[in-house]
Amino acid sequence: MNLQYSGEEVITADKATVWAFINDPEKVGRCLPDVIDVTVHDPTHFDAVAQVGVGPVRGKFKFKFELMPNAAGDRMDMKITGGGFGSAIDLTAGADVVDAGPATTKLNWSGQAVARGPVAAVGGRVLDAQAQKLITQTFANVRERLSAPAG
Amino acid sequence: MSTETTVKGSLGVPMKRKEDPRFIQGKGNYVDDLSFPGMLYMCIVRSPYPHAEITNIDVSEALKVPGVKAVITGKDLEAAGLGWLPTFHGKDKQMVLAIGKVLFQYQEVAAVFAETRGAAADGAELVQVDYNPLPVVTDPFTAKKDEVLLRPDREAKTNQIYHWEVGDKDGAEKALATSEKRIKQRMWFPRCHPAPLEPCGCVAFFDTMGRLQFHVTSQAPHVYRTALSLVTGIPEDKIHVISPDIGGGFGNKVPVYPGYVCAIVGALKIGRPVKWIETRTENLTSTGFARDYHMDVEIGATADGRVTALKVSTAADHGAFDAAADPTKYPAGMFGVVTGSYTFPVAFAEVDAFFTNKAPGGVAYRCSFRVTEASFAIERGMDILADELGMDPVELRRRNFVKKEQFPFPSALGFTYDSGDYHKTLDVALEKIGYQALLKEQAEKRARGELMGIGISTFNEVVGAGPSKHFDILGLKMFDSAEIRIHPTGSGIVRTGAKSQGQGHETTWAQIVAEELGLDPQNIMVEEGDTDTAPYGLGTYASRSTPVAGAALAMAARRVRERGRKIAAHLLEVGEGDVEWTDYKFQVKGVPSKSVTMKEVAFAAYTNPGQNEPGLEATHYYDPPNMTFPNGAYIAVVDVDRESGEVKVRRFLAVDDCGTIINPMIVEGQVHGGLTEGFAIAFMQEIQYDKDGNNQNTNFTDYLVPTSLESPHWETASTVTPSPHHPIGAKGVGESPNVGSPAAFVNAVVDALSPLGVRHIEMPVTRDKVWRAIRDAEAKKGQS
Repeated sequence: MNLQYSGEEVITADKATVWAFINDPEKVGRCLPDVIDVTVHDPTHFDAVAQVGVGPVRGKFKFKFELMPNAAGDRMDMKITGGGFGSAIDLTAGADVVDAGPATTKLNWSGQAVARGPVAAVGGRVLDAQAQKLITQTFANVRERLSAPAG
Repeated sequence: MSTETTVKGSLGVPMKRKEDPRFIQGKGNYVDDLSFPGMLYMCIVRSPYPHAEITNIDVSEALKVPGVKAVITGKDLEAAGLGWLPTFHGKDKQMVLAIGKVLFQYQEVAAVFAETRGAAADGAELVQVDYNPLPVVTDPFTAKKDEVLLRPDREAKTNQIYHWEVGDKDGAEKALATSEKRIKQRMWFPRCHPAPLEPCGCVAFFDTMGRLQFHVTSQAPHVYRTALSLVTGIPEDKIHVISPDIGGGFGNKVPVYPGYVCAIVGALKIGRPVKWIETRTENLTSTGFARDYHMDVEIGATADGRVTALKVSTAADHGAFDAAADPTKYPAGMFGVVTGSYTFPVAFAEVDAFFTNKAPGGVAYRCSFRVTEASFAIERGMDILADELGMDPVELRRRNFVKKEQFPFPSALGFTYDSGDYHKTLDVALEKIGYQALLKEQAEKRARGELMGIGISTFNEVVGAGPSKHFDILGLKMFDSAEIRIHPTGSGIVRTGAKSQGQGHETTWAQIVAEELGLDPQNIMVEEGDTDTAPYGLGTYASRSTPVAGAALAMAARRVRERGRKIAAHLLEVGEGDVEWTDYKFQVKGVPSKSVTMKEVAFAAYTNPGQNEPGLEATHYYDPPNMTFPNGAYIAVVDVDRESGEVKVRRFLAVDDCGTIINPMIVEGQVHGGLTEGFAIAFMQEIQYDKDGNNQNTNFTDYLVPTSLESPHWETASTVTPSPHHPIGAKGVGESPNVGSPAAFVNAVVDALSPLGVRHIEMPVTRDKVWRAIRDAEAKKGQS
């Protein structure tokens, strides 16, 4: 089951701040909705455990993240593999980091998810909406954290 | 001497099922009811990927779960020489636990053993398997291209498993080319699943003597014993297979599954009993599916409707392993019965089978091997031909039936049909359904724009595998066996190599023996499923119980009678040659007043045998001289809602000729059950995979099982042409309704839609498919 998503987040922070944030595995991992635990292995690899519910399939899903920033500092690609309850979810996501004026940065993101196993069958009827919510919420959380008042 | 202890006429009596009191009181004894001291539970880790390389398996976290005792993987089994098990087709093998890569979604990857089911499931969740996904192949046509080689472990570097053919290809093609009329239709009999309500399961342990005690839901306990001995190297005398009550099998419980081998390994490794019971999802996604045949059907005929030739080319999807459980010489089973009830002068059938990234199987789901697919192809094809000819499908069938005087009839594809009166069976069906009145009603409705359809299926089957010169599984000849012991007081115990899964053997076997010996069927106990006590047999599937084990019983009973004759002669003080078995008792020839009953003979066998060997028992291994050929005429009447596409099966009549009827009530029950399954296949059920290889029908929300609310009212009747080579003339019936009904249902729906120009619709005939067919046909008409 292939799912494709895209969106845009306008963040009230400058591009360098945004770029630093999304290069920080701990911070990115904590933006996952319903995240329970984040384990950072190195600057580009971390694991996250999140509470996921897709239809009747509910439980802890474990994801492995790989951050792939480009050299120019304006695009972040991510490879996410994981799953739980006998299911597997492979995601690839990418975001262009665009300077949008004073203290404003746009994240133009797109993602593709492939689900396999019970989550693709039992939860198939609601998977699309749930996955979209999950991925949208992740980028929304990035915006929220960066836009939040300091301290 | 008195004859009042004789019981006469046990055959053909609607005796209530002896097994039912325990079932309807919830006192059946199923595998999951078993519990042994120290028993562990096993849970299987399965692949979410349909095709992927396994790069790592980490079981360390699973082993930390409280209660988890052990985890095994494919590497462990491979090291023990148990990495693969032979499939019942014998020419392929199947991974027990994945080694190196997985080939279908839900394939077995690891097994976790724990003190409780919950701990085993928790442990399974924590087995970390890293996969590297590979390209997925989900249909035989893509597989045929060999762009992705699925089974590099095999010598043949191709996805094609086999090419099988039978008949005269050149002759059939020439006859088709010169026929006045010719039809060709692609039909797909979709992948479906037997879905027994009790899933597969087992309990394995090694007793104090070091003997494997293996309790399992098996349709073929003796074959399991032999197969397990071959796989594990455990001597066969050290294996005891016990198949207790079975909650439905329908072919699903014929193969030996990887979970069974894992449970045995776990029991051996840990030294405690291990129970494994599948979940519903595991049953639907990893155990033997049925059908999945893509068939191109061509029929030639004269302009006045006499068939001239048949050619059927099939692409078969066998999934990841060739686990079709067909007899060795018949990779496509009995598909050669595709000429059906008709006198084709020439015919040709071929099947090309392929591996795909789907669950393995291709089992005989309530049919003899591949007979349902064949029956559907010819019965759908005859309706399409009738449409092409502008002829009543009834008349077309009548014109081409094998006539009763032509039996034994050599079919164009090599079978010798034993007996039948197809014309009579159809006539009975037409009269009972009121065919002429239905045609009149249909014409009136069509004039009003309403959609009503009448679907006919005059199928035949080939069942009762089979003669040992042709049929074997894993080299084991497909005979079957029976043992009868008559006790001193005239009761007895019967054991066979068959195994009931709901067929009612405890009743029908008792009736056969009672009929042959003049005893009371209520006092004939039937025991099956225990390899320590039952004589060796190939089991119950493919409609072979009554044709083979039932025949063995009758023959064993006749041996008892021959032994009894000697004792009767001693009691009657005459020579053995002067004693005849007549009117259910032994009597001096020509002197009806001098007679003894079997009950009296039984008592004498233990108390006063004279010079004869004491005791009264016999065993018979029956090697059938031919298959049997049940047949029937089924008629479905449907109304289709033009706006919603909803199909209502208003009437369904099944007239079956299963030869001699042992118990008409059980036959009727079998027909009801089979029709309900046929109805489900025709209208509701399909195991679908998306293009990524995800199984879409993993539970009873997505794979529908009809209840009494959805099921139509079934009307039944019978004709009887006994099989001339079966000891009591029986042919078997349990699978006829599943074989014959799908075509009747689909023919009825297509007949209803035929005024719109619809010629074929694929199963399952769901409401949306019908709705689209109506809309497409109306749009096409609008354009023309």
